[in-house]
Amino acid sequence: MSRRLADRVIIVTGATKGIGRETARLLAREGAKVACTGRDTADGASVVDEITSNGGEAIFVRHDVANEADWRGVIARTESELGPVRGVVNNAGAFFVKPLADTTEGDFQGIFDVNVLGAFLGVKMGFEAIARSGAPGAIVMMSSLMGQVGFPGATAYCATKGAVTGLTKTAALEGAAMKPSIRVNSLHPGVIWTPMITGQFGDDPALADAFAADTPLKIIGLPRYMADAILFLLSDESAHVTGIELTVDGGRGAD
Amino acid sequence: MEDTAISPFRGVVVGGSAGLCEAVRDALGGEGVEVAGSLDEAPKLDILVVIAAHSSMPFAGTAVETFATGLGGELRTAFLALKQGVTAIRAKGAGGAVVFVAAPSDGLRSFDALRQGLRLLTKSAALELGPEGIRVNIVLPGSGGTPLGRACTDTDIAAGVAFAVSDRAQFMTGADLVIDGGRMVQ
Repeated sequence: MSRRLADRVIIVTGATKGIGRETARLLAREGAKVACTGRDTADGASVVDEITSNGGEAIFVRHDVANEADWRGVIARTESELGPVRGVVNNAGAFFVKPLADTTEGDFQGIFDVNVLGAFLGVKMGFEAIARSGAPGAIVMMSSLMGQVGFPGATAYCATKGAVTGLTKTAALEGAAMKPSIRVNSLHPGVIWTPMITGQFGDDPALADAFAADTPLKIIGLPRYMADAILFLLSDESAHVTGIELTVDGGRGAD
Repeated sequence: MEDTAISPFRGVVVGGSAGLCEAVRDALGGEGVEVAGSLDEAPKLDILVVIAAHSSMPFAGTAVETFATGLGGELRTAFLALKQGVTAIRAKGAGGAVVFVAAPSDGLRSFDALRQGLRLLTKSAALELGPEGIRVNIVLPGSGGTPLGRACTDTDIAAGVAFAVSDRAQFMTGADLVIDGGRMVQ
């Protein structure tokens, strides 16, 4: 059994569902001690239970990623219960589909707070925490294929994910200059079959088939695929990788 | 627990310096891939890695014949390896993975044209071969000084190739995997 992250403490935001949950489980299997954060306490308890019953180590911390005080609390609890932080997966995200004309200032501010302010605080607080560990670290920023191309009805979401892409590149340069260095990369998923998608479009299997048909590989994206990419970006296999946009989308963006 | 390593797959590594070729073969071996000596020795195949040679030339002072044999020759080599490799992957019939490895960019623009040519060959092949379950990606190494403070090594490149061909990247196709210590974002 491979242990690519043996004993490294990693914070995963939005770990109660979808990609974050699958990521937390995979990182734990690879030896990481995982701080799972999110807003849903019951789901948080269940992901921790899943990890610990498989012999892994994890805690859940209730967390609004747009709140700086919450971030300080997450890091303090992680450091005291799991140890010095070596990585952060800024995964928590909001999504909605609404034509530009119907999108209100409130809608925009709401999604911006989670996807951009949350990601900004995650890098800022992540840098501070990893620096305290005295060891190199890695941060993964969850952007999207929609941070690289447009999508009708997703103006606000695309804007936030484009912002994450830019935030990542500058953070990567500042992180590279730190000693020890911190790598920062963005991951750009295509359509992944998670509650974020089904919450907007419904969970009719015919819809999953339609998404698959629309993808060059002809398969629907699963959270597991993203977890594997996040693991690569956190592990020493990518020791020389920083500031990149890694697109894992079944080939949609190649068109 | 599910084993994510690729096994017992067959692979071929085409091109590359002795050091890089060896590092890639080792990394594939670490993933459980049996690496054949050449495409001709592997009528049935799962994994093809094509490493492009360095073909650096400035615009001024380069004869068109040199441009055609250098840059054009490299693209032709990559195209031929892809065609032969895909034929062998189809012969096995289980899908597969192709990874191109571009030579490090040294900033000369005509050379960057080769790099970009390989990138778009990758994307076109990914679109064409995706429905057959054949993934095609490109590793883009950097060179020289980097924000991370060291140069890209053969081991760095090999680790990226191993990830890209493995089942850990089973939803990744047509993608750029830049391994340059942050040089490109400066």
